[in-house]
Amino acid sequence: MVFLKGDKVKKVSLAIPLMLALALGACSNDGQSGEAKSENGVTTITFWHENTGVGEEAINAVVDAFNKKHEDIKVDAVYTAADESQNEKLLAAVAGGNPPDVSWFDRFKVGSWADQGALTDLTEYAKEDGVTKDTYYPFAWEEATYQDKLYAMPVDTDARMLFYNKDAFKDAGLDPENPPKTIAELEEAAEKLTIKDGNRFKRIGFIPWYNQGWLYSWGWSFGGEFFDKVAGKVTADDPKIVESLEWMTEYAKKYNVEDITGFTDSSGSGEMDPFLTGQLAMHIGGNWSISSYLKYKPDLNYGVTPIPTPTGDNFTSWSGGMAVVIPKGAPHPDEAWEFVKFFGSEEGQEIYNGKYKTLSVIDSVNEKLGYKDDPIFSKFINILPKSHNRPVIPEGELLWNELSNAVDNSIHGNGTPKELLEAVNKKVNAAIE
Amino acid sequence: MGQEAVNKVDTSPRTTGKHKQPKPIKHKKPKTITLNNGRTGWFFASPWIIGLFMFYILPLVASIYFSFTSYSILQPGEFIGFQNYKELIHDELFLKSIYNTVYFAVFFVPLSIISGVALAMMLNMKIKGMTIYRTIFFLPTLVPHVAIAVLWMWLLNPGFGLVNGFLDMIGIKGPAWLGSEEWAKPSLIFMSLWGIGQAVVIYLAGLGDISDEYYEAAEVDGASWFQKTFHITLPLLTPVIFFNLVMGVIGAFQQFTLPYTLTQGQGKPANSLTFYVMYLYDNGFKYFKMGYASAMAWILFVVIMILTILIFWSSKRWVHYQGK
Repeated sequence: MVFLKGDKVKKVSLAIPLMLALALGACSNDGQSGEAKSENGVTTITFWHENTGVGEEAINAVVDAFNKKHEDIKVDAVYTAADESQNEKLLAAVAGGNPPDVSWFDRFKVGSWADQGALTDLTEYAKEDGVTKDTYYPFAWEEATYQDKLYAMPVDTDARMLFYNKDAFKDAGLDPENPPKTIAELEEAAEKLTIKDGNRFKRIGFIPWYNQGWLYSWGWSFGGEFFDKVAGKVTADDPKIVESLEWMTEYAKKYNVEDITGFTDSSGSGEMDPFLTGQLAMHIGGNWSISSYLKYKPDLNYGVTPIPTPTGDNFTSWSGGMAVVIPKGAPHPDEAWEFVKFFGSEEGQEIYNGKYKTLSVIDSVNEKLGYKDDPIFSKFINILPKSHNRPVIPEGELLWNELSNAVDNSIHGNGTPKELLEAVNKKVNAAIE
Repeated sequence: MGQEAVNKVDTSPRTTGKHKQPKPIKHKKPKTITLNNGRTGWFFASPWIIGLFMFYILPLVASIYFSFTSYSILQPGEFIGFQNYKELIHDELFLKSIYNTVYFAVFFVPLSIISGVALAMMLNMKIKGMTIYRTIFFLPTLVPHVAIAVLWMWLLNPGFGLVNGFLDMIGIKGPAWLGSEEWAKPSLIFMSLWGIGQAVVIYLAGLGDISDEYYEAAEVDGASWFQKTFHITLPLLTPVIFFNLVMGVIGAFQQFTLPYTLTQGQGKPANSLTFYVMYLYDNGFKYFKMGYASAMAWILFVVIMILTILIFWSSKRWVHYQGK
């Protein structure tokens, strides 16, 4: 106090309660973040998303197109630095009763958020406006639906396939135009492609659990099912899934898992990606990798083919993707729905996916965007109608982590695949109850 | 409380008169002025008091209640008694996370004390350029945890990391470090030891506090360096070691950022890096089981409390304060 003169003290002591009042005011302010600024009958709705770069441009293009078409609704796109897997901002906003009108949302989490009553039910809106599942790939619609109610509008998607390096195939005396179709062929090719020096790999043919080699990718390819819709139970111990994990574990033993881990931990990313440097001949990857391959190594001579299956037919894959949702408690659900509907329509899909070079959830849009003529993209488009989606259950995240742990434990020899998957099943089903 | 303190100061000028010459108080209205001072003090402290109450005490108390419910952040849930606690006992991952956390604490805390004291003693030598050395050892504590994690992922890279590079040079084949189940936790302990600069600074202050008279007297008696270290330095450093022990135990049990960043929250390989607070976070924010997470938080709180009480209780036997 000594160094402050009388009037300064007054100023400071005035400033602090003022700041406090402002801070507290901000907390208790009932005016929602999506408060309507009804100027001349225009309703402004807030849209939270987390895209940056080209992804943000694509979103803005959709928003602009929508705003141009609607004189009475204005969408205000706000970038919130959220991680798609940890959307704590949205969580806090919904819990605090102060959510945006529309939010970008990972479809994977529709089950858990819908179960918590955090999403607006879109079923009636969709019925009224004639938005039906027939427009979309089955998995996309299903992943947006929880207990027969629609909670999200799918906007993009992906798929997993086997990527293989054609040059490496030639080098190992394999036919680059005839990639492995069965698990046996895959193993044979992997063996031929692998060059091991002591405990280090100069080139490794294949690592089943690398990149997108999740148990979901293998379990479905082996013909297993992870969820029994009728009983509402998880079936992670399906004999076919157990079989797929047994195969992965055998593979880990054969090539020594610690040596493989040494290899994967040393592998770089970006232009040092082992698939680009030729150190890894085959892997299970997603379509989103294509753009970075083009960027870092445009002359990479590679092909894609469906994930091999034990029988060499019934190929499948699984897909996820983003959606737009109306959080529970959104101030303008009706106007928000107009935007959600537009994003999910062919027009919105074409703008977004065309700009971002992502796969649409509508087959005709993918055709319009020319994906069906592209030698690589067409492979993905062809598998989409048969693609799976992860079970839409409140415990989706738990199931994901448990499956991932089971694979990790199994390939490291901590327990047999059957025991581990039975334990997963027990734990997740207990959580469902 | 404020009133009492004010009165005390008012009526007992002796407390201020100890070091200064007692002077007659010349204020005309001493009572109102001191009262105002007290009010101003509370007033200025009010943002922090309100903050403490709203963001610490209230959630703390609320979490006791939540630990008995199925609260999920988005839904209030139901009162379910001790259900959460009962479930925890049978949760294998919970037990594994306890094992990992205790393993880390048991090795990290003593190691950090031994290396911290040793480092502080070295940095207390009277040689040229000591401030530079001290700065070097303090610098790592300024690096954010996430950056440390990324940095060490490269250093411990089994293929081309510097650590295995050095080991290779002297003919040792290094392990896969973070990729190996046995070595993941030791790697983490190793990485954490890198950031003990903060503790070293406190040890240095403690060393500076030890009066030279003891050493002079010991030298007259012909004590060796060894004897001086173990009979003067270390016993008189125990109050500081005591402080760092308590803080170290608390910190070790709350280990989160490093393993979470290193494993993208997965605790890989094979859950060997799933720590207690990581699992708590997953339950609270990923699985919408905030009640369950609250129960975990309270178990952790009680465990840390008991350990701290034990350390305090034992401190009577091994902590020596100067001048006593």
